[in-house]
Amino acid sequence: MHIPDGFIAPQMYLPLYGLAAGLWAYGAKRVARDLDEATLPWLASLTAASFALSFIALPLPGGTSAHVTGVGLLAASFGIWNAFMAASMVFAIQALLFGDGGVTTLPLNALAMGFAGALAARGLFLAVRPFHAGLALFLAGWIGLFLPALLIALALGAQPLIAHDAAGAPLYFPFGWSVTLPALLIPHALLGLGEGALTVLGGRLIERLRLRYGND
Amino acid sequence: MIERGKLAAYLAALLTASWLTAPSWLAAGLGAVLVLCGLEAGRLLRRALLATAAFSGTVSLAYAAYAWWQFHTLPLDWLLTANLRVLLMALLTFLFIARVNLFQALAFSRRLSFLLVLAVSQSLGLRRTLAEFRLGLQSRSPRPAGIKARYRAAAHAAAWLLDRALANAHESAQAMQSRGMFK
Repeated sequence: MHIPDGFIAPQMYLPLYGLAAGLWAYGAKRVARDLDEATLPWLASLTAASFALSFIALPLPGGTSAHVTGVGLLAASFGIWNAFMAASMVFAIQALLFGDGGVTTLPLNALAMGFAGALAARGLFLAVRPFHAGLALFLAGWIGLFLPALLIALALGAQPLIAHDAAGAPLYFPFGWSVTLPALLIPHALLGLGEGALTVLGGRLIERLRLRYGND
Repeated sequence: MIERGKLAAYLAALLTASWLTAPSWLAAGLGAVLVLCGLEAGRLLRRALLATAAFSGTVSLAYAAYAWWQFHTLPLDWLLTANLRVLLMALLTFLFIARVNLFQALAFSRRLSFLLVLAVSQSLGLRRTLAEFRLGLQSRSPRPAGIKARYRAAAHAAAWLLDRALANAHESAQAMQSRGMFK
């Protein structure tokens, strides 16, 4: 979801920037620690792949389509911190080079999709994989889309509470949770099924590629 | 140095605009940014409108309908304030994109510059290949491809992207190493 600048109050996005900055600093250290000197090109390549993933259309019944986030697939295949750092870079590139999304909404997107989405996807993937690998990938894809939708719905719905005028009228995003939660959660619960299916197919192909390269 | 100053000015202007809640100040800010855009004002304004229209339009229409249904009145203050603010911030961003070289603005950090250059150059290449994949699927399908075929194609594209990312990372690391980047 690309929320433009102007709908999130500074009272929310400034603290979120502080939180995201801490996680970016820690994430950079983690990625550097887990990898070797090739960290920088690795992160760049994963960012490019993550950026390009968002251009893949997810087919929906009726001939329509939605776009993939790929967070579940990235987290399941490459871990939380790689997914978080790559997704954050993608949001920054989209906002500052293409004007897609916003600079003030960047920390919300990075924390909801890149961090919480990746954390939940990786956790669920690791928990379910011993029992059923396919189901683990599916759940990683689904939760990687659904949980960020829930967090973004909560953040948007909180705007009228944290930023309103003397008469109580909203100054930024106008709708409360009674509107944002069903408006975002119902479609994303269904879209998550498509993202889950794609994560199963994509994850299996990646495993096959890894086996192939491992045998070479 | 100049590009860094422009980046700082853009971020300061964006922060200021996000605090504004009076339509008169927002309109004045929009006017000032349009003057700064100069001859490109029309083009940049059009881009800003197109980039924000879907989200802003949906929220504005829904809120106007909700207010009319509940109170038989239109929230004109909110509609004006929110839409002016969104437009001003989007226009600032498109002016920044048009006038500032982001790669130079981030040149204060060698690693950040390399990361951005590598990521953006690879992103554009991967995006082009994805478009070719899409056209390939269309050309292979005499009739519009079914949902199963499109899923399979999307999954292959996703796996190919990640596979390509692994290969790109390896090649870039070798290229950078051979040029003494990691010493």
